[in-house]
Order: sequence, then structure tokens, then C-alpha cells
Amino acid sequence: MNTRWSLFLVVPLAVSLVLLVASQSVFLESSLHADLGFGRMAPAWSLHNYIRVLTDDFYLRVLWLTVMVSGIAAVLTIVVGFPIAYVLARMRSRWAGVLMLGILLSTFVTIVIKIFGLIVIFNADGPVNRLLLGAGIVAKPINLIGTPAGVVVGLMYFTIGFAVLLMYAVARTVPRSVEEAAEIHGASRRRVFLRVILPICLPGIAVGFLTVFNMCMGAFTSAALLGGGRVLTLPVLIQRTILFEVKYGMAGTISAILLFSVLLINLFGIFVLRRFRIGRRVVA
Amino acid sequence: MLWFALAYVFLLAPIVVVVGASFSGADTGGVVISYVQFPPQRWTLEWYARIPAVQYEALALSLVLGVAAALAACAIGIPAAFGLVRGGLAGTPLIAALLRAPLQIPTVVIGIAFMQLYYLMADYSRIDLVGSFAGLLIAHIFLVTPFVTGSVSAVLQRFNVRLEEAAVILGASRWRTFCRVTLPLIMPGVYTGALYAFVVSFIDVPVSLFLAAPGSVTYPVELFHSMEHDFNPSALASATLVTAFSLLLLVGAERLIGLNALLRSGAA
Repeated sequence: MNTRWSLFLVVPLAVSLVLLVASQSVFLESSLHADLGFGRMAPAWSLHNYIRVLTDDFYLRVLWLTVMVSGIAAVLTIVVGFPIAYVLARMRSRWAGVLMLGILLSTFVTIVIKIFGLIVIFNADGPVNRLLLGAGIVAKPINLIGTPAGVVVGLMYFTIGFAVLLMYAVARTVPRSVEEAAEIHGASRRRVFLRVILPICLPGIAVGFLTVFNMCMGAFTSAALLGGGRVLTLPVLIQRTILFEVKYGMAGTISAILLFSVLLINLFGIFVLRRFRIGRRVVA
Repeated sequence: MLWFALAYVFLLAPIVVVVGASFSGADTGGVVISYVQFPPQRWTLEWYARIPAVQYEALALSLVLGVAAALAACAIGIPAAFGLVRGGLAGTPLIAALLRAPLQIPTVVIGIAFMQLYYLMADYSRIDLVGSFAGLLIAHIFLVTPFVTGSVSAVLQRFNVRLEEAAVILGASRWRTFCRVTLPLIMPGVYTGALYAFVVSFIDVPVSLFLAAPGSVTYPVELFHSMEHDFNPSALASATLVTAFSLLLLVGAERLIGLNALLRSGAA
């Protein structure tokens, strides 16, 4: 009986492996060729591109900026997203369904549309700037486009729907009785949240953080549209290397560095989680 | 509670603004998106009449692509889930990790990788997938299949095998048991996985950006180009129509499988 079910794996595994190996090996191979210009590549393998990327200040700054912007966006997404998920998981009112649909809708709408909205909201005489200027909070209109802050906001919109869905699954695993026990012993709601709920959910939150971070590292659209050409992240740099410089080898190298950075940071994250004995169940 | 309300405003504001601005009068809607006014000074439907044909074509391509990718993802993901959960192979965790691998690869890298693969194939064989629908579809299948595998596996793991045993004891054949007992019970997982597969394909920019032919791009890529090059407020109108479609799709899915199934297996 068991052996028969495992036969179902043959075709899916073969298809997945072919697609994975074929696509990844081709670009990794191309990353080993130096570019000759006009889209042509040197025939011999060399580490020329890798040495260039890893010793050139420009590329290292872009890598660092990508990691920083993704990290900040992931932290903020979790800080905003976890409370939403927690309240939704505890809500018994019939509005919970409608509110949940709101989260799903935000997930289902392409980031390009959300960025349309963001630009209208934050333009020089848009609602936010009129409010801030009117209240005297800022002296001149704030501008998101072309700033790292703008890219962070864009990344948050890209990931927050998914993050709330992930955190919702985590928050649902906390039994209500645990909270009630803390409340009976006199803990305030704030204290229950900080001292009971958060520690229990920490492994799930950590895994959610890594997922969101991965999405941010590969996110092209937010950085391209809100970076306005002034904030370069690795995904944007990859597109420009192909589109404007037509250097397929170099684009392959930058892609490989992006891929390896994501994998390394994830391995490190899982190592830290195991080391502190949190999230064994989730990460294993 | 205040935090909760503010978070919702944050989450939904851009979508509300796009819908509102799509009704904004022509004198305020400029050729650059940062001139579009919200709230609208004058209400009009004229941008809806002016949605260019190319946006409808892009939308049609995105819909066909999303549905085809989701169907293919089901054809691959459902058997994979049965094999993973019930196969009992020693290497199951490794196989599961391999099947999940596309989720770990940055999407922009998936786009580049398939683009270079297609160029290479065109150079060394007669198969030319560069800028073709088939090429786009293959990359999207790679991108979205893990969502079906994940959500069907999640349902199968909670599956009560006694229900199947009962059917067999009562004289049902294996095939009949599968069709009448197993399949109906895993359908919520299938619908959820297929829905997420469709959505991930439907909203993707980075993969399609590198693979679509310049003349026929997907809807998000078309919007992306319109924003970078020649913005026209009719993009807001078509975006509003697409948002309304997404909402209908969601409400339909909620009626069909219930919100809980949608949430439980969604975050695979």
C-alpha cells in the first residue's frame, strides 16, 4: 500500500527537478563567464565577475542596502502584522469575516496597484502632506519616491497580507485558557500580550520574519517604482544589468550572489533558532 | 484597539485611494501619476471609457496564464502531496524541501534563470520559448506549484483514514472510495492551493517582466510599464476593475470553501 502511494511522487518530482536544475544551472553557469559587451560572453570559465562584485564598493553597498532595507521592512511588517493577526484570531464578532476579507484582498491586489495608491497619497499636495503641513508637523512636503524609506514602505505593502496570514495561523495555536490563567492571576491585557502570547508565538514569528525577509530580498517592483532610480537594490540592479548593459554573465553573477545571500541568511536564522532552542517544532 | 484600526487604515488606504482617484475629473488627472488628486475634485467615469485595448489584452493574458498555471500546479501538486504524506519514503523531508525550493529562490532570480534557459535552448535546439506563452507558463508553473503541494499536504495530514477504511469495508472499490470519500474531503485544500497559485501568478511582476514578449505582456507588467513610461489615469480605472474582480473572486471562494479553509491552508 505504502509503496503505491510513493509512486505518485515520480512525475511531480521529475518535473520539479528538471525545472529547478535546468533553470538554476544555466544562470549559475553564465555567472562564470566574463562579458565581452553586446550580450556576448567569454568562452572560458572564470571568477572574474565574482571578484569584481565582491571587491567593488558599488556592488557591496547595493548588497548591504538590499539586506538593510529588507530587514527593516520585515521587522516593521511583523510589528504591524502580528497584532492584526492576533486580534483577528481572538475576535468572535461577525465582523471578523469581513476584516479577514480585507486582509485577503490586500494580498490579492498586485503591488503595482498599491504603489499607484501610495504615490497619490504621498504626492506633494496629497492627503498626507496636506494633513502634516496643515498641522505644522513638517515644514515642507515629505517625499517617499527615491528614498530608502519609500522602498521600505513599498516592501511592507508587498508582504503584509502574507505576513498576517502566516501570523494568524501562529496566533490560532495559542489556547485561550493560557491567557485566562494569566488574567486570573492578575496580569493586565498588555502584560498578558507581552509576557505570555509573544513568547509562545516567538518561534512562529521568527519563521514568519524569515519568510517576509526572503520575499523582500527578491522583490523587484517596489524597489524599482519607489526607488525612482536613486535607491538601487540587487533585484533592480539585475534588471538594469540585463536591460541597459546587456551583460548576461554579470546579471547571472549578481543573481547568484542574491540567491546565496538569501540562503546563507536563512541557514543562519535557522541555526540561531535551534541554538536558543526555540522553534524546533516549527523549523524542523 | 487603536493600533488595530490604524493598521487597517495603513493596509487598505492605497487600494481605496486608487478606486477613488479612478473617478477623478480630467482637469486634475495629469499624465504623471503624482498629479492625480485624491479625494477627487470632480467625479467622472470618463477614464473607464478610455481604458486602452492593450490593457484588456494584458488582462486576458494574465487570466489565461493564471488559470493554466493553477491547473498545471494541481496536476503536479496533488499527486505530489499524496506521495509526500502517504508514501512513507525515508527521503520524504528531502523531497519535500526540493518541491518547496521555488519558494526559497528570489522571484527576480526565477525570472532571470528561465530567461537565460530559453535563450540557451533557442541557441542549441529548435525549441524557441523566448517571449512565448509556453515559456511564460512553464516559469509560472514552477513559481506556483508549491502552493498547491503545500495546501493539499496540509489537508491530507489532518485526514482521518478511518473514513476510507469504512468505505472499503462497506464494499466500495478503491477507485470509488477515492472519488466519493477521499476527493471530496481534500477539495478545500485543492481549491485553496489553486486559488493561491492563481493569485501568485496573476499579481507577479518580476518573472513575467523578463519572459513576456514586448507586444504581449501580463497585466501587472503592463501597469508597471505604464507607470514607468506613459502614465494615463485610465490605468487607475482598469486597476479598479481588477480590484473589484479580486474581491468577487474572494467572496466566491469564501462561499465555496469557507473562510477558515482559505486561511488555514493558505499560508503553506
